[in-house]
Amino acid sequence: MSVIHISNLKKEYSGNYVLKNINLDFDSGQIIGYIGPNGAGKSTTIKILTGIIQEFEGDVNVLGMDIRKNAIDVKQRIGYIPENAVLYEVLTPVEYLRFVGGLYQLDEATIDRKTNELLRLFDLHDKANVRMNNFSKGMRQKVLLISGLIHNPDIIFLDEPLSGLDANAVILVKEILLQLKLAGKTIFYSSHIMDVVEKISDRIVIIYKGEVIADGSFETLRSEAHKGSLETIFTSLTGNEQHQSTAGEFVEALK
Amino acid sequence: MNKLLLKLVYLFRSLMPTEVDFDKMMIIVKAKLTMDTRRVYLNYKSAKQKENRNHLNTVLLIYGFFGLMIGFLVFALPSFLLCMIIFHTYVLFMMAMTLITDFSTVLLDTADNQIILSRPVSSKTIFMARLVHIMIYLLQFTIALSLFPIAFTFFKYGPLTGIGFCVTTFLTVLLAVFTTYLFYLIMLRFSNEQKIKEIVTYFQIFMTIFFAMAYQIVPRIINFKSLAGSFELHWYAYFLPPVWMALLLDGLHSLSFDRLHILMAALAIGMPVITFWVLNKYLAPYFSKKLSVLNNDAVEVSKGTDNNVQKRSIAQKLSTLVCKKGFERSAFEMTWKITGRDKQFRLQFYPSLAYILIFVFVFVFRSNQSIGESWENLPASSNFLVLIYVPLFTISMGIMVMAFNENFQASWIFYSTPVDKPGELLTGSLKALLVKYFLPAYLIMFVLALYIWHWAVVDDFFFGLCNNILCFFIMAALTPHYLPFSRQPSTQQQTGKVVVVLVQMVMIGALIGIHYVLIKFPIIFYAVIPFLVAGVIAILRNLQRLPWRRIVTA
Repeated sequence: MSVIHISNLKKEYSGNYVLKNINLDFDSGQIIGYIGPNGAGKSTTIKILTGIIQEFEGDVNVLGMDIRKNAIDVKQRIGYIPENAVLYEVLTPVEYLRFVGGLYQLDEATIDRKTNELLRLFDLHDKANVRMNNFSKGMRQKVLLISGLIHNPDIIFLDEPLSGLDANAVILVKEILLQLKLAGKTIFYSSHIMDVVEKISDRIVIIYKGEVIADGSFETLRSEAHKGSLETIFTSLTGNEQHQSTAGEFVEALK
Repeated sequence: MNKLLLKLVYLFRSLMPTEVDFDKMMIIVKAKLTMDTRRVYLNYKSAKQKENRNHLNTVLLIYGFFGLMIGFLVFALPSFLLCMIIFHTYVLFMMAMTLITDFSTVLLDTADNQIILSRPVSSKTIFMARLVHIMIYLLQFTIALSLFPIAFTFFKYGPLTGIGFCVTTFLTVLLAVFTTYLFYLIMLRFSNEQKIKEIVTYFQIFMTIFFAMAYQIVPRIINFKSLAGSFELHWYAYFLPPVWMALLLDGLHSLSFDRLHILMAALAIGMPVITFWVLNKYLAPYFSKKLSVLNNDAVEVSKGTDNNVQKRSIAQKLSTLVCKKGFERSAFEMTWKITGRDKQFRLQFYPSLAYILIFVFVFVFRSNQSIGESWENLPASSNFLVLIYVPLFTISMGIMVMAFNENFQASWIFYSTPVDKPGELLTGSLKALLVKYFLPAYLIMFVLALYIWHWAVVDDFFFGLCNNILCFFIMAALTPHYLPFSRQPSTQQQTGKVVVVLVQMVMIGALIGIHYVLIKFPIIFYAVIPFLVAGVIAILRNLQRLPWRRIVTA
């Protein structure tokens, strides 16, 4: 059964279509890599799927519900960890998670129990009651990951979830994602780090200028494009193969 | 003024040590001066200010205006000595406060090390750039503060006193620098960077309040006639630097060089020089050593708190008392905590709390009566109405202040979580504002009124409480609905329609009017109170049920 169903999705900002007729279906229990260059429409798609943007053309169903009509019910069952996410830094992790948990209407005992446990697993227990103004990017990212997962959602939308994390935390998060997948969750993963996407995704969708230009498992993409890595497939599809000459000009301009 | 002062620096070019690369130094100083003008000073920042506006100039103009006021004293006060004491106290106080509140960003700035030290610039050059920058900064403020007083002194007391005046002003500034350094050293010794910033915030709030008070209250207190006569210096006055300066000038002015004047003059010149030498020799190196450590322990670790046994905070306890379970409670706790910690909010809102007292003072003590006279007439008046209703007006400003926050981007969380009753977020944060700020202020007013009017005002305060809460929610209901801390500060705030504002004012005016009419018949209060309570409940219900489309979102 498809957990996300997108048909004829279009989205325009002041006359410009940033999404042009997207049609996609995703099954549960998959990790979906959703990639594209800056400004391709990735974040817009995610914001529509998570019910944050309500004005669009076409139909979007998430978990069998129309996102326009049932945005609140959908939001209750999905988790969203946005790119460059900001949190209330004058709060402590415990207070912030209490707040977010409250917005998901979890009861307080559950929030406290989960918060303690999850912060401990992310090695943040000694900073649980310290305000977040001085936290490093990685530490904030960990708090954000917890805040997007604390209500045990069925679909998880992640936008650059690994940014700022140290090597050990990256491995931990990747492993968490894989185990969430095994538990039947769907993970919608958007990133610029190609080799991570290549390794963990069951299905890769490449979006370029508001259109889907490639869709399939990594193996399918590779056999179609006759290229080695996702990175080379990506650059060949998104049209810019002049990196070498641009780099040359850059070095020349420094002289 | 910057350009002029920079030109001045070029005059000293030949005096620079050879290790200092003059051109590089000037580049650094220029960059720093540019940054000075971009900094936000105190809370002179209004929502409409444009980005490229020179904040520094605004502040300097204000200081110049204060200087003009002080300058008039030169003419108004017949006692030369008193006038000089006032002026030097003023300069010492203003410079120290300015340095503490504003220059902390420069003194505590450790970004230099990261940005400049990695470039081909010698540390001597950086040091000199810092020094020159601080000098220019001090000079700007000194000129703004003392331009008028100096000019007036020259005019009234002649060139010799005038030149002496310039020198003592300079010496006072040196003392202010020393005081500031000492202050920060003590701070650095006993607390970390985070705490220092907290303390500095409170100093800034204090400054804002101080200005407002000085403006409103001082003219009412100072009776120029009583200052006209001679006045005696207490023995302890001779320990105060402004008195040394004033006596030095007094000696110059009256050409009297008795033992007292000579001793004071020696102190006036000697102390700044000695303290500056101590500062340079011992304190400054210690200071920079402390400062370099500051950067390394950026993240504090909570010590000894067992996270599993968390105590319920006050906010949590109160929220279960006054809030619906769910969104309202979350918003209440969040607002409670952020309002107490967010620097911008405190800078904008806390001074307005102090205005409560100032307004009460201004309303109760009309300027045409002496304070003693007003005080005696108080118990017979119905001025307690002022005490009852003034807190509401300043605290309801918090409704708007609360909507705007530097950290507005964090409000994405309201849109990604399943919030189906956004109105409850509003009521939660409104209740936090009411409980955290209004109730304590009201209690203080109540105690104050009890002291003056005794038990007769209890009925009035009880009625007033219900009336105030109703008025508060009427204001909240009729202003644009923003989620707490969700708007960018610089964006134009949506002003309510004129009709709405008018309706709001009429309703609140009517409610306070009812109180005024009923003052003589407190029994009727208890007949009206149920209606007020019903009104509060009705408006609260209405707010809680606000749908998303009624909320002003980005």
